Amino acid sequence: MSNFLNQDFGSEDEDDEFNPAPVDESEGEDSKPAKSQGRQAPGSDDMKDQGDAEEDDVKDGADDDEDDDEDEDEDADEDEDAVEARPRKRRRGPLNPFIDEEAGVDEEEDEAEDDEDELAEFGTEMHPDDFDQLPAGAETDDRRHRQLDRQRELDATMDAEKQAQLLKERYGRNRAAATDALVIPKRLLLPSVEDPSIWGARCKPGKEREVVYSIQKRIEERPAGSRNPIRIISAFERGHLMQGWFYCEARRQADVTESLEGINFYYPSQKMTLVPVKEMPDLLRVQKSEELMPGGWVRIKRGRYQGDLAQIEEVETNGLNVTVRVVPRLDYGMNEDAAALMGPDVKRKRGATNAIRPPQRLFNESEAKKKHAKYLSATSGLGGKSWSYLNDTYIDGFLIKDMRVQHLISKNVNPRLEEVTMFARGGEDGTANLDLASLAETLKNSTAEDSYQPGDPVEVYRGEQQGLIGRTVSTRGDIISLQVTEGDLAGQTIDAPVRTLRKRFREGDHVKVIGGSRYQNELGMVVQVKDDTVTILSDMSMQEITVFSKDLRLSAEMGADGQLGIYDVHDLVQLDAATVACVIKVDRESLRVVDQNGSVRNILPTQIANKIPPRRDAVATDRNGAEIRNGDTVREVYGEQRTGAIRHIHRSYLFLHNKAQAENAGISVVRTTNVVTVSARGGRPTGPDLTKLNPALNMQGPGGGRGAAMPPPSRGRDTLIGKTVAVRKGRYKGLVGIVRDADDKNAQVELYTVNKPVQIDRNILTPKDPITKQTLDSGRGRGRGRGGGGAGGGRVPYGSGAPSGAPGWSGGRTPMAAGDSSRTPAWGGAAASRTPAWGGMSGSRTPAWKNDGSRTSNPYEAGNRTAYGGIGNRTPAWNSGSRTPYDSGSGYDAFASGSRTPAWGGAGAGANTGNRTPAWGGLSNGRDQRDFDDAPTPGGGYSAPTPGAYAAPTPGASAPTPGAWPDSAPTPGAFNAPTPGGMPKRGGYDAPTPAAYDAPTPAMGGAAATPGAGYGDDDGGPRYDDGTPSP
Amino acid sequence: MFFLKEETKIISLHPSYFGPNMRDYLVTRLNEEEEGRCTGDHFVICVMDMVDIGEGRVIPSSGNAEYTIKYRAIIWKPFRGETVDAVVTSVKPTGIFTLAGPLSVFIARKNIPGDIKWEPNTVPPQYTDHADQVIEKGTSLRLKILGVKPDVAAINAIGTIKEDYLG
Repeated sequence: MSNFLNQDFGSEDEDDEFNPAPVDESEGEDSKPAKSQGRQAPGSDDMKDQGDAEEDDVKDGADDDEDDDEDEDEDADEDEDAVEARPRKRRRGPLNPFIDEEAGVDEEEDEAEDDEDELAEFGTEMHPDDFDQLPAGAETDDRRHRQLDRQRELDATMDAEKQAQLLKERYGRNRAAATDALVIPKRLLLPSVEDPSIWGARCKPGKEREVVYSIQKRIEERPAGSRNPIRIISAFERGHLMQGWFYCEARRQADVTESLEGINFYYPSQKMTLVPVKEMPDLLRVQKSEELMPGGWVRIKRGRYQGDLAQIEEVETNGLNVTVRVVPRLDYGMNEDAAALMGPDVKRKRGATNAIRPPQRLFNESEAKKKHAKYLSATSGLGGKSWSYLNDTYIDGFLIKDMRVQHLISKNVNPRLEEVTMFARGGEDGTANLDLASLAETLKNSTAEDSYQPGDPVEVYRGEQQGLIGRTVSTRGDIISLQVTEGDLAGQTIDAPVRTLRKRFREGDHVKVIGGSRYQNELGMVVQVKDDTVTILSDMSMQEITVFSKDLRLSAEMGADGQLGIYDVHDLVQLDAATVACVIKVDRESLRVVDQNGSVRNILPTQIANKIPPRRDAVATDRNGAEIRNGDTVREVYGEQRTGAIRHIHRSYLFLHNKAQAENAGISVVRTTNVVTVSARGGRPTGPDLTKLNPALNMQGPGGGRGAAMPPPSRGRDTLIGKTVAVRKGRYKGLVGIVRDADDKNAQVELYTVNKPVQIDRNILTPKDPITKQTLDSGRGRGRGRGGGGAGGGRVPYGSGAPSGAPGWSGGRTPMAAGDSSRTPAWGGAAASRTPAWGGMSGSRTPAWKNDGSRTSNPYEAGNRTAYGGIGNRTPAWNSGSRTPYDSGSGYDAFASGSRTPAWGGAGAGANTGNRTPAWGGLSNGRDQRDFDDAPTPGGGYSAPTPGAYAAPTPGASAPTPGAWPDSAPTPGAFNAPTPGGMPKRGGYDAPTPAAYDAPTPAMGGAAATPGAGYGDDDGGPRYDDGTPSP
Repeated sequence: MFFLKEETKIISLHPSYFGPNMRDYLVTRLNEEEEGRCTGDHFVICVMDMVDIGEGRVIPSSGNAEYTIKYRAIIWKPFRGETVDAVVTSVKPTGIFTLAGPLSVFIARKNIPGDIKWEPNTVPPQYTDHADQVIEKGTSLRLKILGVKPDVAAINAIGTIKEDYLG
């Protein structure tokens, strides 16, 4: 392409187009009416100036060739000058600077071919601009001409856009432009209605420029003065911005249509549009070319290194070619074989093979030598060794490549740190040496507008406002208005472009990293500010971090930084059933934790089972048994003697936090058994809590509640000693004796029956009244429920209650029952039940109960029992007799069969014997008595049945009991259904107990409440209490 | 900087304190609760005196009495730029931790003069310029507070000794 261009528009051509421009302009200025002609040059200026690509192409070709050519020309000129030209020139005197014979052949040619018809006018005058540029006396010194020429040549080599701008500035397309001695307000330079219109026409996309060239050519062929002039003033295109469009400046649309006839790629069928005057400037607006600086970062647009980051090594003066440094992607011929196999298709498929890009790696000559030794050659230059491999140059492992600017992306490069680190040249000390400044520069180009927020303190660090300090007020795109806070302009609001600003921080500011770097969301305090980089001290890790000021923001937050989902630094999380860990760092996607064993690992949030909410009240004990809680400061006893405040307590592990420890965010794990308390939070041990009860009052004695909660152990002489006790269990069960000695567990009891002291567990002793043999409250009463009840059942008969019941019926017995079991009511029930059972025998006892009125019934039942027991009588005979019943009690069988019998037998004998027999005797008596008792009550309601029942039972009982009891058949049979109902049950149980029990059950069923109530009314209530301890 | 500040505090008293010595209790309570307290903004160094003990007001539900007490106290509020004396509590590669009274001040490596180097091989580790200056645990330093970061119940500060007359 460049060649083609060279042919078409060699440097000479370019000169043709541009150099004459001023001349034309001046002309036009002079002869204003001749506008169409006069305009032509500026038009071409524009063209030049628009053509972004044009500049490349022209440049590509032009630059090299031109430079060379012209240099040579220059040289030649100089030589000529030196030798002979000078005299000639002097001879000439004040000549038109544009007709300079010595300016070289080229120039002459140019002019000749270009301005043939204007030659007449041309040359008589010089453009005022040029005059301006020349020092006084220039007219007379043709040396100046060459200077000017040289300058123009230089201009030509300049960035085309710059040049265009320059020219445009100089030759603004306004009428007034020519009089540029004055400063012309910009708005006057804007096109008005009187100016020619611009028409936009369609063409084949991508061929815009060719169309423009064709037009240009046509204009040259048919200039203004010719027979059939082209009346287009200028033509241009906007390249990729407006694909498929090109624009012509003309007075009339017809002119355009006419001129465009037969132009290739032009689509005449599509309608031309008139560009509104207002939009004209926009159409011609030139974007300032990106200034590339060596050391800056760019990305490569296409090719093998597409998307790769590259560092600019060098920018050529024309600003179009740059040398970049890239991390090579080489396979060193490893895939070549495969490629070779493809034979002739290789070329076509190259794209495909390239699709597998080798990874980025620094150039390695030894690898290159393996397969491609022939392509490899070393050259050692001044700056060290460089390699030439496959026509590319490699220095320090990097690929050094010349590229065109348009093949690079220089905006929003956003180099990532890992990419940049690849470019980090290793310093002598082995540390990576990053050019932060250039990185900053690149990043600045991509500064997002949202990185500045209203209220940020900023500083203008370049441009004319340099040094201003203020606070941002608002942002609009790239422009930020800031209110100046310091200096002469304080209070004013000015606008400044983002790129001239940087955020301003003072040492000690508390800031947060808001973006860009990997330290995002870190909080810290500024320790150093150096130009654009700020060093902060992270709150968390106590480490120094260097970031760009643009990535920082003043932070009002305090405490923990960073959160990842719900996880925060220092949170306690559950990893699996057996492992907990404390978060020590929160990255963007992962967490760093230290687990209970002290090992540090990186995990993903998904690996966390759940977060363990902090437990404020968690308590542990340290090595010395002292209480430790969250927040306490402890020290490790062994090992590293770490200290720290307790963050978390988890089972026997403590997570300590120590601010002075840099690693693991200050977290360490210790076992509770390895620490001692250094200080407790809030000074727990320091004194009484004054918000609570007045300690002075507290001293006066233990509060009632406290006493109640735990009775003080009584000391001194054991209260049990000297007491008469009965044994409740074991081989001495039922025996009574006197305690001779006692200690905590055992008591030495001198039994009445066995004439020797025996050691008995004091817990199975029940104090008795030595005379009445009633159970006493020893004060150590074991209120334990003998719920086991089976035994209880047995006891029931023994039911010392029964005895007591008889005489002291009113009081003793009930409590007895109660005494037997803590659950007095149950017992009561039981007792009652039993009674009722018996009574039940008589009839459905429940109703009986009820009918009787609970209370009454109770006594009755009691009475019953007593009676039934005959035991009431037994009572008197208790001492000895009781035992028997006891036995019987213990084994119902005994009771049922044996005891009863004896009872019977003894019934007559004498209650006093203590046998059941007497009991029975007593029983009968008692029964009678009871019956009497009963009789009245029932008499009220049930008199008939009850007594009947009673009467019946007693005998019945007596009768069946012996035989029938165990069977239980008779009893029920004899009496009534319910009882039997109970009976079978009883059968289900072991015989004795159930017997007692069962009865109760139904009894309960019928009158559960009753007994209770009965007791209550009976005075049974209090007795219960009494009774409770009694056992 | 130290200030004498008048503050107000509400103390609620358990009924069991009601009695002749109630005032004393209040004073004790005030001293215990206030002295040494850190508000996140300043430290209360000492309660000077009580300006006014308001009338007690019995809270209906609890029986406690609330007293609104006005008192004067000496407080210390650390400021940026303030120069204080501090004692080194620990020395780390990242910097020096010091205590200036109740305030913990960290001196980052960047804020330690360049000639004073980290010397990890000594016991205990220290910062030293290999001449007469040694900074180790227990050393007294004069430092300038660079920044103060208030916390809920504590204040953290960073300081510098990289200036004239500091160190």
